[in-house]
Amino acid sequence: MIGLLITGTFLLLIVLAYVTVATPYLASSVVYFMAFGLGSTVLYFLFSAPDVALTEAVIGAGVSGVVFLVALLQTQTREDDA
Amino acid sequence: MSFKKTIKLKTILTALLVSLLSILLLKVITQVPLTSQALGITLLDLNRDLTHSANAVTSVVTYFRGLDTLGEVTILFLSIFGVGIGIDRSTQMKTILHYDNTLLKIGAHVLFPVIILFGIYIIVHGHLSPGGGFQGGVVIASAFLMKFLAYGDAYELDHRILVLFEALSGVGVVVLGLLGLLSGGLFLSNVLPLGRLGTLLSGGIIPLLYLFVGLKVAAEITVLVEYFLRTQDARDA
Repeated sequence: MIGLLITGTFLLLIVLAYVTVATPYLASSVVYFMAFGLGSTVLYFLFSAPDVALTEAVIGAGVSGVVFLVALLQTQTREDDA
Repeated sequence: MSFKKTIKLKTILTALLVSLLSILLLKVITQVPLTSQALGITLLDLNRDLTHSANAVTSVVTYFRGLDTLGEVTILFLSIFGVGIGIDRSTQMKTILHYDNTLLKIGAHVLFPVIILFGIYIIVHGHLSPGGGFQGGVVIASAFLMKFLAYGDAYELDHRILVLFEALSGVGVVVLGLLGLLSGGLFLSNVLPLGRLGTLLSGGIIPLLYLFVGLKVAAEITVLVEYFLRTQDARDA
């Protein structure tokens, strides 16, 4: 049961990581990244490392996402053809 | 022509370095025996005898590797220092980025004390349950982040109090370490009674140390987040 859960979380994380890089919209990329942080929180917890999971939940899924979003809002979007 | 040659030389050197390093890494990996399980059991035994801390991870972080924690706290302080130098040039000109949203305001107002309380709980119970100074400190800082996002400049933080917390807790960690050096001969060795395993007042200096680390991390991350959120108002610029 736990093994199945771990495998499922791993697959989900791979998909989320790919989508984070592949999506053309930066804002949704940040949201996918935060979801990735949430998924790795679950994975850390399943690997019985609740201390690391707690840190990842706050930093990975919370603060770093907000910092990325703020950086995104304060910069201008421009697309080059090159 | 010569430009191309230098690039090629660089590439070759990089490839050589990478292969050398991977060979070294492979050697280390194959030579070091996989004794992590035995090491873990030894650490757990040591933890039961030496620190009386129910959370073994905490005792590794603050007791067996306390000096590393002091280094981490120092690195955090230096990075905040750098951010402050880099970003905070003209505070009067800048406003905090926020959103006028009633739902967010009421939610922040209601949730703020709960999140602060949860952070304090994580810090104080660091030696009993998962968590500790860093985690609890960041949780407290995230409560302030929520306040900033909801209220913006209407929510004012007294920086003198933050600086006071930060400095006092930094000094506290070092003083605790020096006390250990004076009494036990080792930096950050235990100077307080160990107490009974599993109670709130147990683990010697670990709860006190984590309280200092938690206050320090909370103050630092709060200041960092405020620096990041301060922005030139796009409509004025």
